[in-house]
Amino acid sequence: MAAPALRVLQLTHDYGSVRSLADVSFDAPPGKIGLVGANGAGKSTLIKLSLGLLDPTSGSIEVMGADPGARTRVGYMPEASALPLDQKAADFVTYTAQLAGLPSRDARRRASETLYLVGLDEERFRFIGDFSTGMQQRVKLAQAIVHDPQLVFLDEPTAGLDPEGRESMLGLIRRLGDFGTSVVFSTHIITDIERTCDWVVLLDGGTLLRSSPLEELGSHGVVRLELHDHSEEVTRLLRARGADVKVEGDVLHIRSFDEIYSAIQSSVAQAGAGIHLLEEANVTLEEAFFVPSSEPPPLPGSRP
Amino acid sequence: MTDRAIIVDRAYQPYEGERRSTSWIMWAIVVDGFRKVFGIRRKFTRKLLPWGVIGMMSMILAGVVIPAWFIGDQLGDLPLPENAEYFDIISLLPELFIALAAPALLVPDRRQGTLAIYLSRPINRAQYLLAKVGALFVLMMFVWLAPQAILFTSLASLDGGGFFAYFADNANVLLAILGTALVYFVLHASLGLFFAATVPRSGFAAGSYLGTLLIANLLTSSIVEDDTGGERWLGLFAFEQHPRVIRDWFFDVQTQDYVPTVAGFEPWVSLATVGAIAAISAIAIWVQYRRLP
Repeated sequence: MAAPALRVLQLTHDYGSVRSLADVSFDAPPGKIGLVGANGAGKSTLIKLSLGLLDPTSGSIEVMGADPGARTRVGYMPEASALPLDQKAADFVTYTAQLAGLPSRDARRRASETLYLVGLDEERFRFIGDFSTGMQQRVKLAQAIVHDPQLVFLDEPTAGLDPEGRESMLGLIRRLGDFGTSVVFSTHIITDIERTCDWVVLLDGGTLLRSSPLEELGSHGVVRLELHDHSEEVTRLLRARGADVKVEGDVLHIRSFDEIYSAIQSSVAQAGAGIHLLEEANVTLEEAFFVPSSEPPPLPGSRP
Repeated sequence: MTDRAIIVDRAYQPYEGERRSTSWIMWAIVVDGFRKVFGIRRKFTRKLLPWGVIGMMSMILAGVVIPAWFIGDQLGDLPLPENAEYFDIISLLPELFIALAAPALLVPDRRQGTLAIYLSRPINRAQYLLAKVGALFVLMMFVWLAPQAILFTSLASLDGGGFFAYFADNANVLLAILGTALVYFVLHASLGLFFAATVPRSGFAAGSYLGTLLIANLLTSSIVEDDTGGERWLGLFAFEQHPRVIRDWFFDVQTQDYVPTVAGFEPWVSLATVGAIAAISAIAIWVQYRRLP
């Protein structure tokens, strides 16, 4: 079995007297991992700890089964502006490839290929200072993947981009998975994660809210039942069978339990109701964000 | 010839080539350091100052050597300065060069935020800093030793006793040149890199380094000359004069009365002071970089 992309065990980090991460533990498998949280949630700190740029106050972290200090096959796209504006894109990306150990000739070739991939083929010999924000973000992405990392950390890659640039960046991130590169994608924009990732880690105020497959987070535990009629009677019968039901007109959201479908079948038959729709209901990531992982996911529409 | 068209998607190719060791990565940082300092592959304005200083040094050297080569016999026997003197003749220019080079090596990586990217690669802070010191070392050895080598060769060529005889008789001078250049490097690189590591902007870092040398010289000269008794320890703060004292010691000459000498310190005290400055500077730089990025 492949090592987790990230294995975090009781990780705590303090900036002086401020605790930025508190006793965080999770395993995230290789793939596209979304790291979600509001500003100050500890996303960037977790990334810097994963890269060995910061030392944990306590606890441990493994990246692709190795110590963070190894950094042999990881890439990093920082959130802040981190580009030499007085250098040409090709020179900068070549240099970052060399810093990953690539010989000069290979580094220059890879830089050209990667800049082509991110859509900067024509512009690669221009000074970075002359680039737009979107182009600069692309240079940052290019340097993060130029050395063919196994895992790349993208810290707020869509920050400051216009809608078109954001779409384009999300497209590139989705493609990285196709190349066999695992991605840890940090953002506070939840819809970006929903559209890009297959695993999600939710952080809030330095604590872990949840670490689970996005699919599981979005659907598990809630069944949506739309009836033609008799919804009140069906609700009563379901509740009598111990179900947690939320009613919105003729639509019932029922928290899953053993034998739920038998209970629904019996209740509907007993009430003589007609079913219009029966499906697994999707809980949005945004709704799930507000519920700790130790609690069941919320019923739809129950965002605080 | 195939009868089918083929669409070639360049897309993304995994890299399966060689990945070199940490020492290669450090060398890449050294080479990038040369480019940064000389403004190579940068805009023209970044090239002006470093190449200007190199140009001035070349002109001074040419002004000394070329007349001696062509009209030396009319200027009298051996019109060239000795190697020990030449350290004083060009002294300001290498200091100016360090004032440009040390901040160019350290400040942009911090200020532009690229340090975080560089340190996400398989090198650590110590290796990164060591490579930067290495880049400055190579540059400054070139700045101090290349003119000395040309001067020494010229002196040997113009010597009445013959080229090889001069070489044989003055082999100890070569060692003194090398030793002096090392001491100059340790003192000036320590101060230059200290300010480059702790001051946020290149211009301020350069100004702080040059200003410290100038103010320390002025203050210690006046204080020590007024009273060589109770205030003699202040002579240790004449930073820029310690390498000169050591230079005289290595060459076994006395070119001037330098402040540490006037204050009554032996040359070894100057050598120890340079070592102490280097150690303090290294600790301060390390403390600063441990907190980054």
